[in-house]
Amino acid sequence: MTAAHVLDFASAFGTLAGPGPVVVGRDPRASGRMIHEGVASALAACGHDIVSLGVVSTPVIQHAIRRLNAAGGISIGASHNSVEWNALKFFGPQGVYLSTAEAGELLDIYHLRKFSFVEWDKLGAVRSEADAIDRYLDELAAVFDLDAVRGFKVVVDCCNGTSSLILRRMNERFGLEFLLINAEIEGRAFAHEPTTNARTVKLQLAPLMRPLGADAGFLFDVDSDRVALATDLGEAVSEEMVLPMLADWLLPRGPGKLIITNLSTTALLEEVAARHGGRVVRAPVGRQAAMDALAAYRPEQIAVAGEGTGAVMMPQFRFIYDGIASMLGILTMMRERGKKLSEIVESYPRYSMLKGEVPLVTQRIPALLMELRERNRDARLNLLDGVRADYDGRWLHVRVSQTEPLVRVICEQRGDPPQALFDGLMEHVRSFV
Amino acid sequence: MPREHLLKIGVSGIRGVVGEFLTPQLAAAFAQAFGTYVNAGRVAVGRDTRASGPMLQRAVTCGLLAAGCDVVDLGILPTPTIQMFVAATRARGGIALTASHNPPEYNALKLFNAEGLFFNHYERNELLDLYHQSQFRQALNDETGRVITEYGRPMRLHIERVLAHVDAARIRERRFRVALDAVNGAGAVMSPRFLRDELNCDLRAIFIDPTKPFPRIAEPRPDTLGEIAELVRREQCEIGFAQDPDGDRLAVVDETGRVLDNDDVLALAVDAALERLPGDVVVNLTTSSVIDDVAAAHGRKVFRTPVGEANVVETMQSVGACIGGEGSNGGIIFPAVHLCRDSYTGMAFLLERMAQTGLRCSELAGRLPRYFRRFGKVAYQHGRLAALMQGLEDEYPGAALDRSDGLKLMLPEGWIHVRASNTEPILRMAVEARSEETTEALYARVTELLSA
Repeated sequence: MTAAHVLDFASAFGTLAGPGPVVVGRDPRASGRMIHEGVASALAACGHDIVSLGVVSTPVIQHAIRRLNAAGGISIGASHNSVEWNALKFFGPQGVYLSTAEAGELLDIYHLRKFSFVEWDKLGAVRSEADAIDRYLDELAAVFDLDAVRGFKVVVDCCNGTSSLILRRMNERFGLEFLLINAEIEGRAFAHEPTTNARTVKLQLAPLMRPLGADAGFLFDVDSDRVALATDLGEAVSEEMVLPMLADWLLPRGPGKLIITNLSTTALLEEVAARHGGRVVRAPVGRQAAMDALAAYRPEQIAVAGEGTGAVMMPQFRFIYDGIASMLGILTMMRERGKKLSEIVESYPRYSMLKGEVPLVTQRIPALLMELRERNRDARLNLLDGVRADYDGRWLHVRVSQTEPLVRVICEQRGDPPQALFDGLMEHVRSFV
Repeated sequence: MPREHLLKIGVSGIRGVVGEFLTPQLAAAFAQAFGTYVNAGRVAVGRDTRASGPMLQRAVTCGLLAAGCDVVDLGILPTPTIQMFVAATRARGGIALTASHNPPEYNALKLFNAEGLFFNHYERNELLDLYHQSQFRQALNDETGRVITEYGRPMRLHIERVLAHVDAARIRERRFRVALDAVNGAGAVMSPRFLRDELNCDLRAIFIDPTKPFPRIAEPRPDTLGEIAELVRREQCEIGFAQDPDGDRLAVVDETGRVLDNDDVLALAVDAALERLPGDVVVNLTTSSVIDDVAAAHGRKVFRTPVGEANVVETMQSVGACIGGEGSNGGIIFPAVHLCRDSYTGMAFLLERMAQTGLRCSELAGRLPRYFRRFGKVAYQHGRLAALMQGLEDEYPGAALDRSDGLKLMLPEGWIHVRASNTEPILRMAVEARSEETTEALYARVTELLSA
């Protein structure tokens, strides 16, 4: 991520975006300042005013785009990746991710390097907005009953990221008592890898639960769009559980009956959906595909959307992947049901997932997929993204990574891990190497 | 407009019309090359008041941070103030975003080394090689530098430096009524502070709003300074000072509202400097012979250099000069303050001369030996240059010649200097003699020969 890439990508976005200001924020990575200066410079050169929010979470940026009626926004940060990574995320008007078509156009402009720079007297200016987090909390408080989460002992591992700014402010403003760890904003070394999965929770957060007598534990990635859980018993909950739990909470609240997710997420979703007369819509893996799938329905048809990574969006909260909102949803659910987090988690049937990856030369992929189709012709097949084959009580999904020359293999089974199925599948995929 | 005007990446840095030509990409890449050249460390960045300044400063900051530099953001400041601050704080280097006297659609990156001096010839070439090779230092996340703001301190530092070299008490005592035209430029904040608060002048200022565009042609010349001349007359000021947008150049208006010849302003400053400190004088080939007369009166030597501040500064360094400058463009360089063009030193020297002598500004200028100069330019074709120069030599066979920058011919009745512009395909010519008739005759002949 060199300065030259930053300037070209931001110039391409400045060229693509309609007239109006662009909202920019960043996560605390040290390289974020460099990127911020480049982004602001390029947007100003394209004639956009810039509203700079400083260090904030990605959802705060998305809300600000909508509130300010901006032409779009750029979030500087690498989310759940380790500290040396950085990235740009682009948002259109209303704070939504770019559609596949818009993202393609952005790349075309980037590659052509034909940017619409304005003349010297039409350059944009940068304005700082210091209270974006408070304005975001206004909306949060309007959607969630914050009194419902009062009284729980909640431990939050902020991983030195933006969630600490939001939660600290919530404590101050609403008299809440979230107990924050790794709460220092830090740009050079995070306390641990900012990955929201059960393995990180087990290592970092779960051991603290019982000694602290906590009711629930939450672990955020750096830009606070994903969350992972630890129970009152000190157990790390699989990141796959966040979406089914929130679906279980949201489906009865209506009116939406659809769960929008991707082909690699747990089949528990279908069980939860069936309980409430809902339905699961599965799109290819990736945020763009999720956005395209969302766009195919009216907002009121949708109950919840998300991934197995712990990134979940709710219609009540503007269809933005937001870990803080997910956390409030789960706490509200605990209050409403009068149950401990461990009891809620235990109330679902157990599913076990195995994941693997195989490096593979691209030209062998069609043959592999063809053969997988053939071998699984008795299963319910979905071919939108590789091959997903569903059998009663278990399924497999083999797909090609969008970012690396890898084939990803996932198997899931109700109950114990589908080890034999997984091993056989991995061996089969490796035979194509 | 020929293409050469719109963007120039060369030994003097990068300058161009903002928009399609001078892009944030170019500014960031150049800054990253600079950050690579100085090998990380602290780099100070300041700018004049051009509309494109903030945008380009961010691009430059991006490039410097990417190269692992810490960036000291100085905000809006005169170029000499930035240079002094770089030297005083032992920064690795400095970048000023200013196109000096060029129109508002232009901007440029001016580059300074750790001593706060313009990059010399060798430094500039090395940087340019780095830029073209695009092999920049890429800081890892944990090597990424910080941005530190430093507003206020550079101004104080500069003002203290200047005041240490003049009899400020004497100036304050006189409470001069002074007019100022800061062209809404980088001097807009500092100059009132300097003249009113530090030197106790009764200040009548115009164009001191740094948020407004340039109200006149940015270059301070007799034909662009109508407003301040009018202000001087209306308010009966004793002297008027006009700056360019980055506060390095100075033009002076006398109490009658007449804009002084810049060579005469330099001569008065030279006189003031030689009076207090030892050392010789360095000026460019196009500067008036009045400098030789003033230096001779103090028993000092004058060294002549090719045109360009960097050339003058390099020679000043090597001969340990007391003072130097470039007459025609209003640059006064007094190394005891700093080796750079500084309008503030010029203002202080002139006020001090008036305070010491009790003479009016017009009288001070009137005491200087009188020369008549004429400047002009003609377009030429690249292949024709040698023939044109040969024609001049043939016309004046007895002249002493200096070929260090174009051709200068020293004649008994005056001198002729013809040089090709670095930036455009034109020949610049300058002619000087003791009488107006001789000057006009020489100018007409030279124009005729060069237009052949």
